[in-house]
Amino acid sequence: MTKTTITRRGALALGGAALGSGAITGFPTLWAQNIRDITLRQVGTGVSGLNAIAEQVKKDLGFTLQLTIGDTDAVAQRAATQARAFDVADIEYFSIKKVFPTGVMQPIEVSRIKLADKLVPIFTSGKLTPTTTPGQGTAPHTVGYVEGATSTKFAAAPTGWMTLLPTIYNADTLGIRPDLVGRPIRNWRDLVDPAFKGKASILNIPGIGIMDAAMVMESLGQITYGDKGNMTRAEIDKTIAFLIEQKRAGQFRAFWKSFDESVNLMASGEVVIQSMWSPAVAAVRSRNIACTYQPLEEGYRAWGSGLGLAKHLTGLQRDAAYEYLNWYLSGWVGAYLNRQGYYSAVLDTAKANMSENEWGYWMEGKPATAPIMSPDGKEMEKAGAVRDGGAFADRMGKVVCWNSVMNEDRYMVQKWNEFIAA
Amino acid sequence: MPGRLARFLLTALFVLFLAFLYGPTFTITVLSFQGPDGGLTFPMNGVSLHWFGRLFATQAVGDIGAALQRSLALAAMVTVSTVVVSLAAGMAFRRRFPGGTALFYLTLASLIVPSILVSLGVGLLFNLMEWDTNWYSSGFGAQLTWTLPFGLLIMFAVFNRFDRAWEEAARDMGATPWQSFLHVVLPIIAPSVVGIALFGFTLSFDEFARTLMTAGSGNTLPLEILGMTTTVTNPVLYALGTASTALSFLVIGGAILGVKVLRKRGGG
Amino acid sequence: MRRSALFSWLQAAPLALVLAVFLVVPMAMIVVVSFFDYSAFALIPDFVFTNYQEAFGSAVTWRTFGKTLWFAGLTWAITLSIGFWLAYYLAFVVKGEMTRTVLFVLCTVPFWTSNLIRMIAWVPFLGRNGLMNQALIGMGAIDRPLEFLLFSDFAVVLAFVHLYTLFMVVPIFNTMMRIDRRLLEAARDAGAGFWHTLWCVILPLCKPGIGIGSIFVIVLVMGDFATVRLMSGGQSASVGLMISNQIGLMQYPAAAANAVGLLAMVLLLMAAILRAIDIRREL
Repeated sequence: MTKTTITRRGALALGGAALGSGAITGFPTLWAQNIRDITLRQVGTGVSGLNAIAEQVKKDLGFTLQLTIGDTDAVAQRAATQARAFDVADIEYFSIKKVFPTGVMQPIEVSRIKLADKLVPIFTSGKLTPTTTPGQGTAPHTVGYVEGATSTKFAAAPTGWMTLLPTIYNADTLGIRPDLVGRPIRNWRDLVDPAFKGKASILNIPGIGIMDAAMVMESLGQITYGDKGNMTRAEIDKTIAFLIEQKRAGQFRAFWKSFDESVNLMASGEVVIQSMWSPAVAAVRSRNIACTYQPLEEGYRAWGSGLGLAKHLTGLQRDAAYEYLNWYLSGWVGAYLNRQGYYSAVLDTAKANMSENEWGYWMEGKPATAPIMSPDGKEMEKAGAVRDGGAFADRMGKVVCWNSVMNEDRYMVQKWNEFIAA
Repeated sequence: MPGRLARFLLTALFVLFLAFLYGPTFTITVLSFQGPDGGLTFPMNGVSLHWFGRLFATQAVGDIGAALQRSLALAAMVTVSTVVVSLAAGMAFRRRFPGGTALFYLTLASLIVPSILVSLGVGLLFNLMEWDTNWYSSGFGAQLTWTLPFGLLIMFAVFNRFDRAWEEAARDMGATPWQSFLHVVLPIIAPSVVGIALFGFTLSFDEFARTLMTAGSGNTLPLEILGMTTTVTNPVLYALGTASTALSFLVIGGAILGVKVLRKRGGG
Repeated sequence: MRRSALFSWLQAAPLALVLAVFLVVPMAMIVVVSFFDYSAFALIPDFVFTNYQEAFGSAVTWRTFGKTLWFAGLTWAITLSIGFWLAYYLAFVVKGEMTRTVLFVLCTVPFWTSNLIRMIAWVPFLGRNGLMNQALIGMGAIDRPLEFLLFSDFAVVLAFVHLYTLFMVVPIFNTMMRIDRRLLEAARDAGAGFWHTLWCVILPLCKPGIGIGSIFVIVLVMGDFATVRLMSGGQSASVGLMISNQIGLMQYPAAAANAVGLLAMVLLLMAAILRAIDIRREL
């Protein structure tokens, strides 16, 4: 991966798209003398804390984006407790449910976001199309807005004040090794199929792992949850008891907590079916090992993350931050993230930055007409390949629940610890 | 003293132990030579020096260079402070003074309190006092609670065997306490001081439990590595491991030479 | 007299200051926070016992503490058995200061590579398709990979022994080196054999070293969280892991309550071991 490759690719995309939308041109808009002295410190996970983005910011906007990366929990923690150590937080919507009420962040003025009306409606109304049902759990639209400029109370409907600017999201499911699994996988309950004893894994982040467990249990027909993302104590007890039973029976080989661990478990063959994240599947595939991100009948679990502003931002730094936010949605980043298998919150601008082949493969579920390349230039898929799960509407339209923070969070964590210790 | 059989068995044990210690290091070295498609586990995917080259290029995620600089700077600060403070405290403990016993047990306690508790405590303290956490303030202090006790214990061991005759001789010849310290005591205990420095550096450089909650916005190298594992990593990490092992051999070789030189000068 | 005592006091002041700010006050904070209440969002300064009730009223906590003690005890036994003989080798079998230093250095070099990288490397070493299994299958010793090598209690203890044996070796080695060789000669002259000398002369004189080494190993194992998580594949619990999970979820008061429990246990163990040996004199 070299700088020239990106610039060339960027230039090609820009060249082709410049004829189309005018949203990409027009940066930078801040012409302050000392814009080059500004540094925005961003804390986030490795999902979007990409050096390529920082480089592009320097080129397009003139100021410096300084990235600090950590895992999901560490990032939420830093945001909440080390508030003066960062300017922009790149965190998930379920984390913001905990973080925003602590008062360490300031809401974002929707009026200052140029492409606010182009945001995918999942983030504003919760529905991808007027007929889809919003997913259960901490759906982004339930914690996406606050009541006023100084409020920390989440609003029930979109207001002029956002907690986070939506940037990336995806629909998660189980990853499998089709060469080792031996049969088609169709349901969440396949995770606990005794045929895969000692070869399954589940994610060890309580807020997310329990959702996967809930999907499995509903798939087995053992329970129907009122709201998987907000379970009652009885539901939590039942779910954890089930998990403990599975653990004692030796169903799980290991649990993973970091991205890397999930890739290693799959690539080394220790595990053949597990909760997984999309780029992890891509990573396993890039090593010439078959791995499928399996669409399942019951649907997907989704997550979304966005950029938030620290409360202490004022003046020129604040202006720079808004500049950054607007730039983020203007297409370059969107395309970059789309190419990794995520989805961008504003699709039109991302589309303008992607080739027809890429857009067809990643978003429309069409077979690739030419090899699909990863952002650092390696071939990921051959011509003719179809994305696992198909089109955007097929995947995001079948989202059943979102990563969540429950009212009974404290209790849930205790019970989860019980499961781990069993 | 032990018979031939015992000698043989013990040597075998030692060799096995070394092999055991080097197992992961060996795995890392082997895997760091993979080709561009390589991952973090076997089966190996090609053989090349690709990842060593990538080590110095910009990474997709994470900034090894900046984190390394911070870690080195922090380790240097910790090393210097540990040596100075341990030396001073070691000299202090040669006499009885009020609060000496309490301080001794406090130092022991510092050694014994689990790292994660120190991290939590310091993090909470800075958070509640609304001070900024930084690798050079809170991280620095947290690491000192780990290295200072080691330094002090080594100083104890040294001074317990120290022969005061040398100092008395110096004083008889008219040296001031500072002179006798500088020209008599220091050269004699110099190898141990080097030992404290090495200890301090090693303990600080790889430390992450205590800095986990106290590092603030800039990651040290271990924390950066931890952060990088939140996304796809590649054998660059292994290349880093191999490179640092090679570097360690060099540094320790240098330190041993240094000690030998000091000894020659001190004895002659 | 008084002036030199004052001088000593000043020399020890930096140490006292650092420890006061970065140890005493934080520990006090932990105790204070353990009585706070908390919501999903923030700490609520208060004085309640709920955290202690929830922590120590739950069977899981006790089981976790028990498991942690078990790990600590097992690791202690193994590191002691191996460590003692390694120290013996270095002190009595190896001749020559240089060789001894070189061997020591060889032992410490692996620890200069990042802990984290080395822990990640255990997977390719012990996994189903890892080096160890492949070697064993290649030698014909087994025909199917050994599953228990990784992601099990075995793996956890293995990693602990790997990390902490040296902490046992060094103090024992130190005490062994201080044994007057004339004592050993005298024992030999009196007709004592290898084992007799070991039991009656060497072992008693090594007690301080064993004590210090034990304190190190036990304390390090009890406070550990990363090793247990990685090597057990997240399937085993330890007190350190429980605390770090709670910290990760910002449940600080709960973490603080468990922390106080851990601290109490560790201090008790240390006090017990220190009763048996007088550290200050024996250093």
